[in-house]
Amino acid sequence: MAGSALRRLMAEYKQLTLNPPEGIIAGPINEENFFEWEALITGPEGTCFEGGVFPAKLVFPSDYPLSPPKMQFTCEMFHPNIYSDGRVCISILHAPGDDPMGYETSAERWSPVQSVEKILLSVVSMLAEPNDESGANVDAAKMWRENRDEFNRIAEKIVRRTLGIPI
Amino acid sequence: MPASVLQRLPMPNLKIYSSVSVLALSACIYYAVQNIKDPKNIIDTENEIEKLGMNNTNSSDGPVRTVTQFLSDVFYLMMRENVCTWTMINMAFCWLILVGRVVQKLVFGELRVSEQQHLKDKFWNFIFYKFIFVFGVINVQYIDEVLLWCSWFAVLGFLHLLSQLCTDRFEYLSFSPTTPIWHHVKLMCLLAAILMLSCFMLLVSVFVGFFGGIHTFAFMSAEVIHLGVRTLHTIIRYGLHLYDLRQEGGMSAANQSEECKVWERRGSIAYYTEMGFELTALIIDLLHHIHMLFWSNIFLSMASLVICMQMRYLFYEIQRKYKKHRNYLWVRNHLEQNYPMATVEELTENSDNCAICWEKMDSARKLPCNHLFHNTCLLSWLEQDTSCPTCRLALNIQSTRRDPVEPPAEVAQPVRRHLSFFHFDGSRYVSWFPSFSVEINHSNLQRQEPAPATTSQLEAMARQVQTLFPHLTTSIIIDDLRVTRSVELTVENVLDGRLVAPHVFRDVDFTSPTSTTYAVASNEPDKERSWHELTATSDNVAENEDSAVIGSRFSKSSTEREQILLKRKEKLLHNARKRYIEKRKQTEHVHSQS
Repeated sequence: MAGSALRRLMAEYKQLTLNPPEGIIAGPINEENFFEWEALITGPEGTCFEGGVFPAKLVFPSDYPLSPPKMQFTCEMFHPNIYSDGRVCISILHAPGDDPMGYETSAERWSPVQSVEKILLSVVSMLAEPNDESGANVDAAKMWRENRDEFNRIAEKIVRRTLGIPI
Repeated sequence: MPASVLQRLPMPNLKIYSSVSVLALSACIYYAVQNIKDPKNIIDTENEIEKLGMNNTNSSDGPVRTVTQFLSDVFYLMMRENVCTWTMINMAFCWLILVGRVVQKLVFGELRVSEQQHLKDKFWNFIFYKFIFVFGVINVQYIDEVLLWCSWFAVLGFLHLLSQLCTDRFEYLSFSPTTPIWHHVKLMCLLAAILMLSCFMLLVSVFVGFFGGIHTFAFMSAEVIHLGVRTLHTIIRYGLHLYDLRQEGGMSAANQSEECKVWERRGSIAYYTEMGFELTALIIDLLHHIHMLFWSNIFLSMASLVICMQMRYLFYEIQRKYKKHRNYLWVRNHLEQNYPMATVEELTENSDNCAICWEKMDSARKLPCNHLFHNTCLLSWLEQDTSCPTCRLALNIQSTRRDPVEPPAEVAQPVRRHLSFFHFDGSRYVSWFPSFSVEINHSNLQRQEPAPATTSQLEAMARQVQTLFPHLTTSIIIDDLRVTRSVELTVENVLDGRLVAPHVFRDVDFTSPTSTTYAVASNEPDKERSWHELTATSDNVAENEDSAVIGSRFSKSSTEREQILLKRKEKLLHNARKRYIEKRKQTEHVHSQS
């Protein structure tokens, strides 16, 4: 029911406002629709995405937190685990499979105990350490493996674009 | 797809359409009035009326006419004239559209894109299926019969569309915590009106059924009842939602426990109403289709094919609902028989909120892994996944299995208040799952005897801990988890400083590309100035922002919350920009020096 989802989202919003994790801001863009949020994620220090502020859209299902939200970066991204249209591919955002023997994979998947904060923190660590085995963007995965300098150059460009600094 | 083709047809503007309709109608009326004023025509009209069997006694009174008689004469004349009849029908449709527009303006305001899309789809689908019904199933022969069915379906379709619109809008409104009360009132009034109208139409269909026979009655009433059930469903869902909101807003301490009991039951009430209404609507629809198929000898025609396809869809829907319900019952029984409700001490000991809905727990159910959740929250999660949401412990719930429920397992028994003995018999759940016993002494957070655990579970827990403490390496966390077997305890250990992170050297030499980018820049002073400009402009922005209150607080008003969020975002971006520029200046400085 949308009522309990709404209450939970409100609680998460409150928590994220009062105790925001470093470099992360998230909340509903327009409170007429509480199920669509925008998040700003700061690129983790010491990585090629350092300093960038990446905007992303989070869309929650009406049975949240039983089903995971969908996350999509609204800026240009170049990363092995982000599709070229900005959708994020991490296991925490995947609904639990009903395969009873797929225990090991389901352990990393969505559960109602997860939260927006945990998702965003996972995305930060994903930005820091791409998983080039499950490539959502094959070009990026390949470049990450084989031509790290070029990858870093592109990341730098993206960072500057998100900050609005002319290249 | 008929809808996509028809959508591309140019549709005339509503203004033009209605004015043309009004013009046409007034022309017809003028024509009729002129005809009636013509004395030669009076005899004609009277003859016609007598022919029709309308024995009008006043007609012999001569040229003096009452107003009502005059109007009825005009009406008869127009009915006789083919062109006039069509104009009147057109006008009636025009009226219906205008009424719809007015209702939309009054209740809904501007329609959202998805609502418009739904409306369009529904409209064309309705027309498509009703066309098949009228010409394929009923097989009407006479034009007036077609007209009667058309007007019936026009009204029915109109109500269907309004009902759909209400449902869509309700779902949208329930996404927002701050909807003004009159929006709800308006929508509820409209829904009630639709329900009343569908009751009235049911009466009409009973009335028509007396003349037209049982089959006509069944055809007509099935659709009306379908509409009524769906509308009532929306009303009840809406009511529950409003009750929910009210409860959240005005919950006082005195009636809290009572409210909580209602809340606990509410889950199952909501579930059963939801399922009952959906199933009723589906079954009525299915019966209606079966009736259509068997009644009219259309076994080998295009219409029967379409009906069969629709029936197939309905049948699968019903099957799906049934399976879901069986799963629900199974999970609920399993829950009630295998997992005990938490005792009051356990609840006080565990002061956390329910991890699923983040609300306070006044009563909770306990899983074998000692995690507590609300009964309804746990139920709705276990319906779709059979593991503990917190630790991913696989639970033995197999909805497909039909064996009788095993006797309640003695999964957890608290021995003393601070010393709980926990025996877990894994083979009872999954054959390959290990069995173990754990004794937890809460005083020193140390376990007494070693307990094996599957590595994947440990890794999952370790990942949870690592999201909180990214500076720790996974191996350390796993080592500690092997001992504590609980995320909470490990987190506490970390917080108490019992887990020390070794110094991890991060590869910082990543940022080499920046230097290559700037080495290309030839005129250094120019670059320097541009950095200064950038810093200056962004500082100006900062001054404005700092004057506003941004502090970390959670406002009660939604507009203020939106503004604060916006400001926080701007500030984050601004600070990031500033830091970036500072850093670049530094690196450039270093480069120029070297």
